[in-house]
Amino acid sequence: MIAFLLRRFMWFVITVWAVQSLSFFLVRLAPGGPFTQERNVPLHVELAQRAKLNLDVPLYEQYFGYFGKLFRFDLGISDRQPDFTVNEIIAAGFPVSASLGVLALLFAVALGLAAGIVSAVCRGRGWDVSIMAAATLGIAVPSFVVASVVIILFVFVWPLFPAAGWGEPANLVLPAFCLGAPYAAYIARLSRTGMLEVLSQDYIRTAYAKGLSTRAVVLRHALRGALLPVFSFLGPAVAGILTGSLVIEKIFAIPGLGVHLLNAALQRDFTLMLGMVLVYTTVLYSMNTLVDLSYRILDPRVELT
Amino acid sequence: MNRTTGNRTKGEHELERYAALWEEARAIRGTSLGRDAWRRLRRQRAAMASLVALCVVTVLALITPLLPLQPPRRVDSDRIFMPPTFSRPAALDLDKLDADFGRKDLDLVSRALLDARLALFGGWSLPSICGTDELGRDLFSRLFWGARVSLAVGVVATLVSLVIGVSYGATAGYLGGRIDNFMMRLVDILYSVPFICVVILLVSILSEDSIRTWLESWHIDRITIFYLVVGAIYWLTMSRVVRGQIISLKNEQFVEAARTIGASQRRIIFFHLVPNVLSVVIVYLTLTIPSVMLFEAFLSFLGLGVQAPDVSWGLLVNQGFNVITPIKIYWWLVVFPGLALALTLYALNFLGDGLRDALDPRLKNR
Amino acid sequence: MQAIGRKLFPYLAAILLLLAAYFAVAGERRAPADFTFVNGTEIKSIDPAISTGQPEGRIIRALFEGLVNWDPRDLSSTPGVAARWEMSEDSRRITFHLRDDALWSDGTPVTADDFVYSYRRLLDPLTAAQYAYQLYYVVGAEKYNRGQVAVGDRVEIERFDPPSGAPPHARGELLRGTLLEYAEAFVDDPAAGKTELSDDEQRERLRRRVRMYTIEIDGEARRFKTGVAAFRDEPEFDAYEPVKQVLVDFDTVGIRAPDDRTLIFELNNPAPYFVSLTGFYPLYPVHRETVERFGSPDWMRPENLVGNGPYRLEERAFRDYIRLAKSKTYWNAENVKLDVIDALAVESNVTALNMYENRQVDWTPVVPTVILPELKKQDRDDLRVAPYLTITYFRFNVTRSPLTDARVRRALSLAIDRPEIVDKIMRGGRTAATSFVPIGIEGYESPDCCQHDPEEARRLLAKAGFPGGKGMRKLTLLHNASEDAEKLCQAVQFQWHDTLGVEVELVRQEWGTYQEKVRNLEYDVAIAGWIGDYVDPNTFLDMFVTGGGNNNTGWSHAEFDAIIKERAPRERDPEKRLALMRQAEEILLAEMPVVPLYFPERNYLVRTYVKGLHNNILDVHPLHDLWIDEAERERQTAPRRKR
Repeated sequence: MIAFLLRRFMWFVITVWAVQSLSFFLVRLAPGGPFTQERNVPLHVELAQRAKLNLDVPLYEQYFGYFGKLFRFDLGISDRQPDFTVNEIIAAGFPVSASLGVLALLFAVALGLAAGIVSAVCRGRGWDVSIMAAATLGIAVPSFVVASVVIILFVFVWPLFPAAGWGEPANLVLPAFCLGAPYAAYIARLSRTGMLEVLSQDYIRTAYAKGLSTRAVVLRHALRGALLPVFSFLGPAVAGILTGSLVIEKIFAIPGLGVHLLNAALQRDFTLMLGMVLVYTTVLYSMNTLVDLSYRILDPRVELT
Repeated sequence: MNRTTGNRTKGEHELERYAALWEEARAIRGTSLGRDAWRRLRRQRAAMASLVALCVVTVLALITPLLPLQPPRRVDSDRIFMPPTFSRPAALDLDKLDADFGRKDLDLVSRALLDARLALFGGWSLPSICGTDELGRDLFSRLFWGARVSLAVGVVATLVSLVIGVSYGATAGYLGGRIDNFMMRLVDILYSVPFICVVILLVSILSEDSIRTWLESWHIDRITIFYLVVGAIYWLTMSRVVRGQIISLKNEQFVEAARTIGASQRRIIFFHLVPNVLSVVIVYLTLTIPSVMLFEAFLSFLGLGVQAPDVSWGLLVNQGFNVITPIKIYWWLVVFPGLALALTLYALNFLGDGLRDALDPRLKNR
Repeated sequence: MQAIGRKLFPYLAAILLLLAAYFAVAGERRAPADFTFVNGTEIKSIDPAISTGQPEGRIIRALFEGLVNWDPRDLSSTPGVAARWEMSEDSRRITFHLRDDALWSDGTPVTADDFVYSYRRLLDPLTAAQYAYQLYYVVGAEKYNRGQVAVGDRVEIERFDPPSGAPPHARGELLRGTLLEYAEAFVDDPAAGKTELSDDEQRERLRRRVRMYTIEIDGEARRFKTGVAAFRDEPEFDAYEPVKQVLVDFDTVGIRAPDDRTLIFELNNPAPYFVSLTGFYPLYPVHRETVERFGSPDWMRPENLVGNGPYRLEERAFRDYIRLAKSKTYWNAENVKLDVIDALAVESNVTALNMYENRQVDWTPVVPTVILPELKKQDRDDLRVAPYLTITYFRFNVTRSPLTDARVRRALSLAIDRPEIVDKIMRGGRTAATSFVPIGIEGYESPDCCQHDPEEARRLLAKAGFPGGKGMRKLTLLHNASEDAEKLCQAVQFQWHDTLGVEVELVRQEWGTYQEKVRNLEYDVAIAGWIGDYVDPNTFLDMFVTGGGNNNTGWSHAEFDAIIKERAPRERDPEKRLALMRQAEEILLAEMPVVPLYFPERNYLVRTYVKGLHNNILDVHPLHDLWIDEAERERQTAPRRKR
């Protein structure tokens, strides 16, 4: 176990290096830069701005300079938001994104799993059909459309929640729902499939044969099968929630990290973008490691590598 | 395998024996996996209906220029935000086909279809039964033209991801050990790249004038780059899903059996293991196509996907989203593109379910 | 062990999730503000010297105060830190007399030296201030800002480290002397042997520049060098001491403070409007001690920031909100009505509208254009429409055929039906352009242009050799990823195709690429917009001088240049000056390197109980002028459920 985690950590370091290098060069190759503005500035001002952002030294010097600072966990001052360091921006946005993401995930797993299991057990009956219909709708309709419908319904027609903003528990409900809805739909479909797969296995027949009730069979034996595909989906789902939240963050004016990832790339905020990529890499990597660990715990046949 | 002319008779004799054996083996094998699955699929009404519906949508998308639709590009400032109506639209202006349909940009087949339509229907076209958009363009017509792009993006990008993902995942899962470890770490690294950033930057870099002209000399346009980039991103999840399944399957008896009789690794992976994970792959596939379509919408919204006056369903849904406000809701701009997207995905899902049952190896020859 | 782990796992996972969810909802609520408004996207900075946008202006105007203020009714200058001012006979010297009771928020008085410090900071090339050119009216300012020196100039040499005893972020130690000799060298010169350089090559070349100075200091000749490349190990530069920068002595720049309360500007040309310019927020003062002690960005933190404006910065949450609280030290504090103001950072206009409709905010400065007609139909008394000094137009890349031909450019302009676009397609919220300089500048009458004449357009195009668009290549129309831009371009694309048979391909680019393509002239036609900085036609016209930083069309016209650069600035009679401006605009509209499309209006929603918010063409709404009619607010909110 310890060896597994150590090995993973080593790979993590390699991953960070590879991903950061890739992003570093990609963002510098793209047209434009952090000094590109709506109004062009005279050449002497632009050169001074470049110098201020340390972009006037040769590329390799920028590269090693960046990694030197990264090593000390110093991500520098944002190129586009000079009032803040990237560390500060992450420190301010991460808790927001994390709480929103966790709530959305909680909602997605709870609803999706329940729906998937019910649907699998009642296969072919009305419940199954309607749950799967709802799930398909959840996948087919983009989250921003869901968001605008939900806002009309629960802010204006039936005023339960604030329209947007951050800072109060009530602000969380609608965004978490909109963010989680498509994932709930995915999880419902995946767990239904996994469940059906398990239900046709021989050991389930054995379990029924020894006289267990449906509930016992489902919860004690079949649930694990339903969980496996869901777990392998969770890693990527976290990534999706992290990046996918940018639309939701925009609509609900939430100061999370999702928007940064997009804006930094669009506006060529070199330092902020690399910082955001680092956060993304770290979160994703730890999630995937956790998923692998839980695989091991859920299915003893799987060996950790 | 006649080495010398002297052995001819013996060789012919052997050939006959092989032929007889071959006949016998064929008879024993019965139907192929595919034919067997098809037989079972035909029994499921919902899946078949979906298949038919998808075929119809595809065919309609292909022959869109032939249908008596209003021009998808005609900007008409008198018809802005017109709710659905059955009143007859004005006849086509035959001099303005280039502006209205982008006739010059169409490929040869579509242009021929458009000409055929004019011969068949003349200037007559269907009313705006889905209303019109912010520029007064007919939504019904744009839905059809949008289907062409959306379906193509969804299918092509998904196929690219399917091919890469399944072979990669299956190979890693089966081989296991150090190779699997290495292959999966590579996937992890690629996974850890936020692909939205990468797509934005890649498309920006590739749209620089010098690179763009170079690519165009190879007949690679924006939309092709798009297929490739999206396909190359979506294979990651596919490979992980497949690998997970393969790992739990590879110690099963039927694999042992295949190994015992000396089947090659490639054979085991692609003929024994892959068919067994097809059910999961197909379900995942039916989920990927819509998410690719939605991703396309998202990118178009950022200015990285489909360019106006081309149109896709994602773009239409986006347009609809922009006009949902507490002051006024132009519902038809959300409902119809949403319906088109949702119905296609429903069909894909039902088909996916049906296929999964049909492909289940445990039900073989039943 | 494994088995136990497996049993506990689901519970553990569930507990973890619930814990996280608890942390998510357990937050502190902040007390409601007296006035809450949507301030658009997160502001770039609260440092006046480097900020540029509208949202930044609203905050900076609350935190700092300039020599004069702008009256929001008519944009005339009212006393700010300066109680009064006078102009010399020839309008080339302006003397400001500062009020005695102007205080920084730490209680110390605002002195003339603070302004000298702030203006030097704005002009310092290392500040890289975009708006430094606003001070170019002042004698010697441009030279200082551009870092130009000539032999014989008195110069100041800035070393890398501040003098001992100075605060950590002060300027480097200064030496003063007279320039004896000056030379430049280029390490690995990329331009060697080339005559014409592209912008990129020019940039690259300047990066490799080493500037070498020989300067006489106290009778002794010393050698200094500057530039990034100066640190390369090149023996030829060894004799020179590396320093941060060498500029003309700031004492030669026409900004002086003879005493604590007097500030004198010497101007290059008569510029009576310079007084009004000191009310523009980049020219607001900053507090020297905090800037030098904390350095950027720490001096702008709420706990450190010292300002002289009507409000102080109480809290700032990135991309969330800025809370302003009334400053007790402000000289006019008794007339500041609102105690606490929240400025929310909201990116999407639709979200802002939702928040307004849900009564979460009192003022939203922009309204999404699609629903504007619906709002107007409702006949609401909280919807305000104001003219705005701004234009939306197309740029033509006149270096690319066939747009090199002015007839083609005029034909394209004539083929655009602006009233149809404005009234029907964009559905109001703007007026069709009839000139390049927007309507609303007092005393200035623009020449007429931009009629819709398809016949004439076709004729011109045929004359240029493209009858019915035949033989014309497909043009590209570059635009950024915005709803309105996309709609406008699609409409024009269709009109050009429909009227002239000219085919246009839309190229939608995200922001960075769009800017870069415009700047590098990698387009045929590109959408553009311009907001006036001050109320004068010059702010719209001077960008089109040859090689102007915002020209971006490749257009060049000798007479136009002469008027804008030479004749108009020297003209002392304001009426004649405006006549010259009109002449320049006529040239611009005849040549058409740009096609005026429409003048957007400012549409905003503000509750009727908010008083003191006045329409003006610069869209300036100082927060300290606002007050709230509490009785009316009660009446309006009472029937609704309070949140």
